[in-house]
Amino acid sequence: MLEIKNLKASINERSILKGLNLHIKPGELHAIMGPNGSGKSTLANVLSGKKGYEITGEINFEGESLKAVSVEERAQKGIFLAFQYPLEIPGVNTNNFLKTSLNSILKAKGKKELDTLSFLKLVKEKSSELGIDEKILSRQLNVGFSGGEKKKNEILQMKILDPNLSILDETDSGLDIDALKIIAKGVNSSRDDKKSFLVITHYQRLLEYIKPDFVHVLSDGKIVRTGCGELAEELEKTGYKKIN
Amino acid sequence: MRQQELEKAKDYKYGFTTDIESIRAPKGLNEEVIKFISNIKKEPKWMLEWRLKAFNRLKSIKEPNWQKPKYPKIDYQNLYYYSAPKSAKDKPKSLDEVDPKLIETYKKLGIPLKEQEKLAGVAVDAVFDSVSVATTFKDKLTEKGIIFCPISEAIQKHPDLVKKYLGSVIPITDHYFATLNSAVFTDGSFVYIPEGVRCPMELSTYFRINASETGQFERTLIIADKGSYVSYLEGCTAPMRDENQLHAANVELVALDDAEIKYSTVQNWYPGDKDGKGGIYNFVTKRGLCKGKNSKISWTQVETGSAITWKYPSCILKGDNSVGEFYSIAITNNYQKADTGTKMIHLGKNTKSKIISKGISAGHADNTYRGLVDINKNALNARNYTQCDSLLMGNKCGAHTVPYIKNKNSSSTIEHEATTSKINEDQLYYCNQRGLNQEESVGLIVNGFCKEVLQQLPMEFAVEAQKLVGISLEGSVG
Amino acid sequence: MENFEINSDQIDKIEKITTKEKDFRVKNLKLFQAAGFPNKNLEDWKFSDFKNIINNNFEELKCKSHSETINKLDLIKDFEHNYIFLVNGNLYSNNFNYEDINKIKINSYDKSLEHQKTDNSLIHLNHALADNGFSLEVEKNYKFKKVLVIYNYFSKNIKNKILNNKSKIKLNENTELHIIEYTINETHNKFINNSYENIYLCKNSKLRNIYLQKNKSEGFFYKFVKNQLSSNSNYLNFIFSSGLKFNKLDIECDLIGENANCNIMSALHLGKDEHQEIKTFINHLQPNCKSYQKVKNVLSSESRGVFQGKIFVKDIAQKTDAYQLSKALLLNDNAEFNSKPELEIYADDVKCSHGSASGSIDEDSLHYLMTRGLTRENSSKLLVKGFLNEIIEIIKSPTIKKFVETKFEEQIYGH
Ligand SMILES: Nc1ncnc2c1ncn2[C@@H]1O[C@H](COP(=O)(O)OP(=O)(O)OP(=O)(O)O)[C@@H](O)[C@H]1O
Ligand SMILES: [Mg+2]
Repeated sequence: MLEIKNLKASINERSILKGLNLHIKPGELHAIMGPNGSGKSTLANVLSGKKGYEITGEINFEGESLKAVSVEERAQKGIFLAFQYPLEIPGVNTNNFLKTSLNSILKAKGKKELDTLSFLKLVKEKSSELGIDEKILSRQLNVGFSGGEKKKNEILQMKILDPNLSILDETDSGLDIDALKIIAKGVNSSRDDKKSFLVITHYQRLLEYIKPDFVHVLSDGKIVRTGCGELAEELEKTGYKKIN
Repeated sequence: MRQQELEKAKDYKYGFTTDIESIRAPKGLNEEVIKFISNIKKEPKWMLEWRLKAFNRLKSIKEPNWQKPKYPKIDYQNLYYYSAPKSAKDKPKSLDEVDPKLIETYKKLGIPLKEQEKLAGVAVDAVFDSVSVATTFKDKLTEKGIIFCPISEAIQKHPDLVKKYLGSVIPITDHYFATLNSAVFTDGSFVYIPEGVRCPMELSTYFRINASETGQFERTLIIADKGSYVSYLEGCTAPMRDENQLHAANVELVALDDAEIKYSTVQNWYPGDKDGKGGIYNFVTKRGLCKGKNSKISWTQVETGSAITWKYPSCILKGDNSVGEFYSIAITNNYQKADTGTKMIHLGKNTKSKIISKGISAGHADNTYRGLVDINKNALNARNYTQCDSLLMGNKCGAHTVPYIKNKNSSSTIEHEATTSKINEDQLYYCNQRGLNQEESVGLIVNGFCKEVLQQLPMEFAVEAQKLVGISLEGSVG
Repeated sequence: MENFEINSDQIDKIEKITTKEKDFRVKNLKLFQAAGFPNKNLEDWKFSDFKNIINNNFEELKCKSHSETINKLDLIKDFEHNYIFLVNGNLYSNNFNYEDINKIKINSYDKSLEHQKTDNSLIHLNHALADNGFSLEVEKNYKFKKVLVIYNYFSKNIKNKILNNKSKIKLNENTELHIIEYTINETHNKFINNSYENIYLCKNSKLRNIYLQKNKSEGFFYKFVKNQLSSNSNYLNFIFSSGLKFNKLDIECDLIGENANCNIMSALHLGKDEHQEIKTFINHLQPNCKSYQKVKNVLSSESRGVFQGKIFVKDIAQKTDAYQLSKALLLNDNAEFNSKPELEIYADDVKCSHGSASGSIDEDSLHYLMTRGLTRENSSKLLVKGFLNEIIEIIKSPTIKKFVETKFEEQIYGH
């Protein structure tokens, strides 16, 4: 699904990712942990195609290089990024945004676009599945949402857009226990042998609910250790100091 | 050549002309032409005198030149001031009698004149060039005592109302283009809502400039009597031509005690081509008088067309507790120029006004907000809130904000805020990440930027306006 | 006074001028005579009809400059300072005892004939007749140790005069200067002061300038200031010129180098029929420059405050950060505040905003203070002071701040 080879990324003459390798197969869920500032969000941004980075190395998605692929084309191919800090876009109705987004992805895939009615049905289904109050969807996109609501909204978007690769950047930070369960449920119910996940988190807590196949530790722009679920538990106890 | 034309036609969806024989007054501006217009409209003597008075005044005043968009000199002697489809001479009594070609044109414009009866509940007074050709829904309106007819008809059938209110808000001495309009106006709508009546449907006029070298000078007069309410929609399109066409309309609104008028415009006149050739000069005078206490006038406009737009829908807040509102979106692309805004003149006590203006400029275009808030000495507790935001796309275009603020009363409060910025890169990225391409993303964000204004439009219009916002900016990002 | 005519022999009376200078003056006089005093039909004078004001206040006007001898200079004792003393605009004496004299050039008025074209007739008049003022230049790398006070003294006998003066301040690279322009008024008569000032800030230079009054004046003041800010230069101008019958400050700043920074701060409290206008025009011509303006007015009696501020951003001036705010408190129904904050922007990657607000004192705040036992009058005074203090607070030096505060209160409450 995703293959990253010797990825280096720098921005404003600061090198952040310094030779990162990662291989995610279909159906796998990988967790990335690591100290603040180690480059986790940068990795997520680079995968999404955000402009402004100097990049060398290889990123292949479903067998194709992503080098010349724009942000929206990546999204249309099925890469979804749940942002660490979801943005507020004033005046833009959330539902309307979601519908436009979904339809451009469907269109790119050569599928039939949804009309308003079936879209609303889908939204209703997904949001009740996640236990999200639909009301927030008639509000402006993320404007005035609480931290937790923004995160939930990202997961709802993920459910609706149904991507092949979901990158969750600290989606669990700032959530109460119930919300955490919702998010975990959202992820778990999407897991199958085709869909892959890259979950960036600081807490082992989340990984109790969604069992990762692999846990990686990112430090100073490189993956310094890879293990399975137990690695996260170990980190929880010892911190990152011992790792290096 | 042909290819080029096709290209152009693609750019402007509404660029077609209808081949209908028309009756024209001789070219030029003189007393004879005014008499011709008055005569062909079978006007009473007082009306002709009124026109001639305006014409005399016109001779002694000059075209203004303070506005930002400069335009090549207009040769007023080289224009036709009257042009009517021939078949309109024997006026149709119902839609069925209307020239099928006209109906066809309206269809192309997307005004479902016939379907509207069933669908939208909108009564249309369609102005084709200069004569109103069809008015629907008359019966339903007549039942309530509402008068909705071409102004030429009102001059004959309701002379008392016309005499009393015509020119009471925009005096014939006002300024060059208003005076010009007073002298030569050909048609437009007349609305009277009787005391206590809530107009049961949105009233609507579609304007369209068809014949070439014709200046279009409509005159609209809306009177809302005590405690009444009306919402009026105006949509404009014009065919594509190389030469510039002049549109100098006057719109007067009068709201008596406790009455409310909502006036919405979606203006999509031909803006000229990519290189700035052709397009409409849209020089319009719109003014509302909140005459009675607790009255309210609300202007909403979405200006996406015209080569040059130059208009300031204004409110004179005379009645105590009266309210004036102005919501505006002006989008300019390529070589378009817009200089638009409002005037809020506070005369009465506890008067309130609100101005929300959103300007978007792309290409080589220039977009100016120009406004006046004037709180007079006796306007105790008057309040104004103004917000002007501009969005720039690229650095070949310009955005200007020129508010004039006068406060002569210590119990009043005026607040004005303005910002200029470009589209937020992070917002674009967020939309891109969700699979939207650049143009869709811009359309979405710009629509969000304009939200407060779009919200003010009646449903039928809001959808069209949203689309227009997207269309107008096509090709402006990259 | 209906018509104001100036005979061209006025120019002949000016001493020691070259033919070239004379031609320049004659040309400008003609321009003035063609236009007369500016009136409200001109956009720039829309809110201050100078012609009308002059006509209503003067029976006659004379142009000859007025020199005078003073027995004793009445200097500020609150802090040590250098000074330039102008009497009716004439450079009377100067003293730079705290500084290295070799680094400073001081001369009488600015004789340069290089001026930008203008359609401002008062500037034409100034170009035609100005024969005094001062010209100050600070050598490279010199930073002033003490404040420079420019005393602008108007003598007792001045009456129905129009005084034209022209000054220049040039700060070369890496220099720093703090100025207080302090107007002292001895006459109870009416007169007009029409001044023109050029300020050049070279790279890395820094100028602070405070306009302040010692006492009230029946004078009618117009001052045009043209500022050129080179890269990394910094200009901060405080305007506390309350107490003048008529005053219009017309400040133009051209930000001609990157990272230049321009600040204009004003706090005015106008009474009686005083009329003051601040007009600014900030030209962002290069990228990465900053401008910040904050204008506060308190208007009582029949006073009138005007603010016309324009921010212009050229297409290449990306990353401009420009801000402007004007606020007015109206204390009386006969007072009036007019403003025209204007933006003209051609670059897209900029942060530009302006705001303007005017109204009465906030009733809730008054109420709050009164529940704490203050009288309405005192509450109101306190709020007014708080409103204006925001500007005075920005002054860094405690002694100068104290001095400004004291003078300011004298203006407002007249003790
Ligand atoms: N635009 C930028 N310019 C300069 N430095 C940047 C930029 N963006 C990120 N950085 C720096 O790169 C480093 C990695 O940032 P990143 O956001 O990827 O960290 P992170 O691992 O996600 O941290 P956290 O756990 O706190 O979210 C940080 O030191 C950050 O300050
Ligand atoms: Mg992060």
